Amino acid sequence: MADLKQQIIAQLNLKDLKPEDIGDDQPLFVEGLGLDSIDALELIVLLQQEYKIKLASAEEGQHVFRSVRTMAQYITEHQPKTV
Amino acid sequence: MFIQATAGISPQPSFSALLTEPAVYAGNRLNCIEPDYGQIIDPKMIRRMSRIIKMGVAAAMDCLKTSATEMPGAIITGTAYGCLADTEVFLSKMVENREELLTPTAFIQSTHNTVGAQIALLLKCHNYNNTFVHRGFSFESALLDAITLLQEQHALTVLVGGIDELTDTSFRLLSRFGLYKKDISSNRALYDGAAKGTIAGEGAAFFLLSAEPSGKDYAQLNGLYTFYKPGDIAEIEKNIQSFLSAHGIGVNDVDLVITGQNGNVNEDGIYKQLAQTTFKGKACARFKHLCGEYPTAASFALWLAANIIKTGVVPSCTSVSSDNKRPGRILIYNHYQNTHHALYLLSVC
Repeated sequence: MADLKQQIIAQLNLKDLKPEDIGDDQPLFVEGLGLDSIDALELIVLLQQEYKIKLASAEEGQHVFRSVRTMAQYITEHQPKTV
Repeated sequence: MFIQATAGISPQPSFSALLTEPAVYAGNRLNCIEPDYGQIIDPKMIRRMSRIIKMGVAAAMDCLKTSATEMPGAIITGTAYGCLADTEVFLSKMVENREELLTPTAFIQSTHNTVGAQIALLLKCHNYNNTFVHRGFSFESALLDAITLLQEQHALTVLVGGIDELTDTSFRLLSRFGLYKKDISSNRALYDGAAKGTIAGEGAAFFLLSAEPSGKDYAQLNGLYTFYKPGDIAEIEKNIQSFLSAHGIGVNDVDLVITGQNGNVNEDGIYKQLAQTTFKGKACARFKHLCGEYPTAASFALWLAANIIKTGVVPSCTSVSSDNKRPGRILIYNHYQNTHHALYLLSVC
């Protein structure tokens, strides 16, 4: 999850944050890290670029982007398997 | 119109002082001296802002703070190049990612109206918001719109600004067009010799205008006039005379002329001829060795003129000829590439 936190920081240009500043279960949006809808688009791009994962629907995003842990779980479950 | 306040970010320490210790640059490129943005802009918004957005927003916020205005009646910006850095990022990503997986932030913020939009977002200002992109007339068009809004009483105050940034890519491309001098020791040597080209610059200057005096105004903006591709020097002289006549004055009533000399032998001939005719014997100042050449550089001249009228001091680094009088009326004459010509008239309130 530390790698994922680092990728989020880089993608969203959260210069003042370090991976350890982001709690595994801390909400990413609104009352947590305070991310917004543009950040959600950036996170969708991150999933596609880094993990080759496309979200099935917008509704799915609400659950996937709840916290770093939910993102990591989704990546683990959906990452294309390498032979 | 009255200039209630002004603020500028430029290659000079203009954000906090009026050119008391002008910065000296080696070579043909001048980049802005930027303030600590963390003190001016919400940190949550800064992370998405490119340099030009931070420059524009910071200058706008400082201008509003100086005038103690929380909410302007309109926000108008003028920029020729717009948000170049974000445009470069967006276009590079398009190529790198084969037109897929494009990052939204750079795309959203690559448009020319981003600075005006970000100022509005920060202020939660839902009033009139417009951006003018007309090459060397971008700032003048924005200013004309502001004047019109105030004259027609659609707004009590208007925040208007001129912004342009220089990036590595734009500097490289514009250099290939031959816009800049190849061998220049420093910006202080801009007017020496008779070579082609000028020096590259950038900046952000904002003004809070109102139709009524506030009692603490920097200056009165009496008039603005633009003309396009004049045929010869006689036409330029005629335009200057007509502009002054329209305001009930002649050249003798002007205390200081600020010209847009940029060191380019192909473009400065006009100013040199006028110095021997229309402006003969007048106190003169120039500014492009301080801010460089860019399409909205006249906004720096307006910032300078407003400050000169407010303080009564002509910074020695700008003065070409002086009569040691406190300027009460200033004429700015600037042209961009001998295509876009503009006249501004300012006076004490």
